Amino acid sequence: MAPIDTTTRRGDREPSDSVAGSVSVVPKPAAEPLGSRARREPLVRAQNVHRILGAGEMATHILKGVSLSIEAREYVSIVGASGSGKSTLLYLLGGLDRPTHQDEEGTRFDPASRVFIDGEDTTGLSDGQLAYLRNEKVGFVFQFHYLLKEFTAQENVALPMLKLGKIGHDEAMDRAAELLKSLGLGDKIRRRANRLSGGEQQRVAVARALANKPAVLLADEPTGNLDKRNAEVVAEIFNNLASQGQALVMVTHDQALAARARRIIQMEDGNIVSDTTQA
Amino acid sequence: MRWFISIRYLLAHMRQSLVCVAGVTISVMMFIVMDAMMQGFTDKFIIETVESSGHITVHDEPRETRTRILEQAYRDPNAVLVVEGVKPRDQVKKIKNPTGLVATIRRMPGIAAAAPQVTGDAIATYGTKTINLSMYGVDPDQITAVTTIGDQMISGDFKRLKTAADGVILGRGVSDVLGAHLGDNITLASSTGGRAVCKVVGIFQTGVTPVDYSRGYMLLQNAQTLLDKKNIVNEIVIRTDDYTKARDLAGQIESICGYKTESWQEANENFLKIFRIQTIITYFITGALLVVAAFGVLNILIMAVLERVNDIAILKSFGFSRNDITQIYVLQGLVIGLIGSAIGLGIGKLAVEGLRRLPIQMEGLVKVEGLLMSEHASQYIQAFIGAMLVTLLASVYPARRAAKYDPVEVIRGAH
Repeated sequence: MAPIDTTTRRGDREPSDSVAGSVSVVPKPAAEPLGSRARREPLVRAQNVHRILGAGEMATHILKGVSLSIEAREYVSIVGASGSGKSTLLYLLGGLDRPTHQDEEGTRFDPASRVFIDGEDTTGLSDGQLAYLRNEKVGFVFQFHYLLKEFTAQENVALPMLKLGKIGHDEAMDRAAELLKSLGLGDKIRRRANRLSGGEQQRVAVARALANKPAVLLADEPTGNLDKRNAEVVAEIFNNLASQGQALVMVTHDQALAARARRIIQMEDGNIVSDTTQA
Repeated sequence: MRWFISIRYLLAHMRQSLVCVAGVTISVMMFIVMDAMMQGFTDKFIIETVESSGHITVHDEPRETRTRILEQAYRDPNAVLVVEGVKPRDQVKKIKNPTGLVATIRRMPGIAAAAPQVTGDAIATYGTKTINLSMYGVDPDQITAVTTIGDQMISGDFKRLKTAADGVILGRGVSDVLGAHLGDNITLASSTGGRAVCKVVGIFQTGVTPVDYSRGYMLLQNAQTLLDKKNIVNEIVIRTDDYTKARDLAGQIESICGYKTESWQEANENFLKIFRIQTIITYFITGALLVVAAFGVLNILIMAVLERVNDIAILKSFGFSRNDITQIYVLQGLVIGLIGSAIGLGIGKLAVEGLRRLPIQMEGLVKVEGLLMSEHASQYIQAFIGAMLVTLLASVYPARRAAKYDPVEVIRGAH
């Protein structure tokens, strides 16, 4: 499998400000000066994040004040039982959902329930601004691939780039083709999404998530819907991405997959109960 | 980008999309055809009526300008004033100094021509056949300058009224009822006892049935004798430079001459009301068709939204906002509307041209040899704007519904 270009774009920063390394497709950016990361905000930061679903008697307190930071180049697994709030946390970290700001009685959480993506507080962002932030800085991979079946694999991957609008159609299609080739789908570029196997579709979904060189890749049970062989392929892709410096947060039930990450966060009943970094 | 997705989604459901497009096409086409037909009929009636009867008519009814003597004495507007045993004065109705008035009217701006005439009822008899007639006593030279009656002769010549003693020109309907043809002598009798045997010197056909079946023309002096209206002119017919301005000019003329002055719009108010109702019915029917088409668009877009909940979620996950999703679905409505309208306009135009060539003879309020189709750019513009508006409106609800989907709920499987 060819190396993947995951050179992270962080807004309009100078190339030296890039947070992730790159591989052969795009020249690797200059090495980050020692200590520069310490002066910057974490890539993603959750501050006393609460999430309450429903209202009144039906209200369910899913997340109960979770705080964590994800730094650049980190490979993080979030594990826990079903209903522990892993996926909810992941969606909040990626700006797909918004945290709840007050409890069932209407009292505001202190400190405020907030998520910062690349240093930007998502609380006050409009729907359009948050969507732009997701487009530019976050890549999502879900348990099910959710490809647009009327589009080819290449078009599916190009869509986020076309949406961002920083590159033209042809360039976006070229980059989509490169990404697909790097994930071993060079011969399936123009195939309609619904003509691909499950494993192939999930790889296209990974390529799509990487399309805009996101600051962070968020994966929710990325192998949950795959057979063992395809799960291993996707796990290997994630390993490669992590080794190339792509920040990656993955929610999984698969202990073996989780163990590949350097940092493992254990959740239980809406709280982080352990946060360990392996040597 | 949004266009790209919208078009692809529409193409994915080609059959349903085509049905929606067909709905819009049929509505637009029907509107154009029906409106052209109705407008053609209205235009024919108006033009023929206006051209054959003049744009404005001054009648011999003086406008009441003086306050009655009783009302002068009792000024209370709520008072009921009753005078018993009043014997009406025997008053001859006529326009005073018609020659001077005609000259004055001709000098007014916007007036093309004016002609005096005398009118009255008569009974025409030919053999055993009789028919009630409205007799018009005219000066052929003047009346042909005011109306197009001279051009509407199907046999004979209007100017022959001048040369033939006791000549009469009949409408085609009158001649058909009587069975009288060119050169035949018919007997005319008025309610005042006047009687004349006249030779048919011409037959006209305006195409307006009420005119063709009730009108006859004589020389002014002959008509005055027949109707017992010696030296009397009871109408002045006027032609304006622009018949649409007849109402305003009629008001001006009435204020100058003091006689009741009627524009063609007032004279044909009842018919014009019918035409207005007809137009409303046309709009109603085609509007109903458009609404049906709009429901088709609404239906297919709702189905498209329901089928693509996952797509909506994933589009949102990689950067599409609610506004973007709304636009994707509104654009689909827009595309259906655009294609449907464009085809509808084209087919509508072809249908109008085709129907115009159909040789269908009809005789109702107007007599025609084929379907009367009247086209205006405004019909096409109205049809286009209407179709676009309705399809856009139909796409708003599904689009907003699509935009409201919470991607998290969708991904969790709540939808």
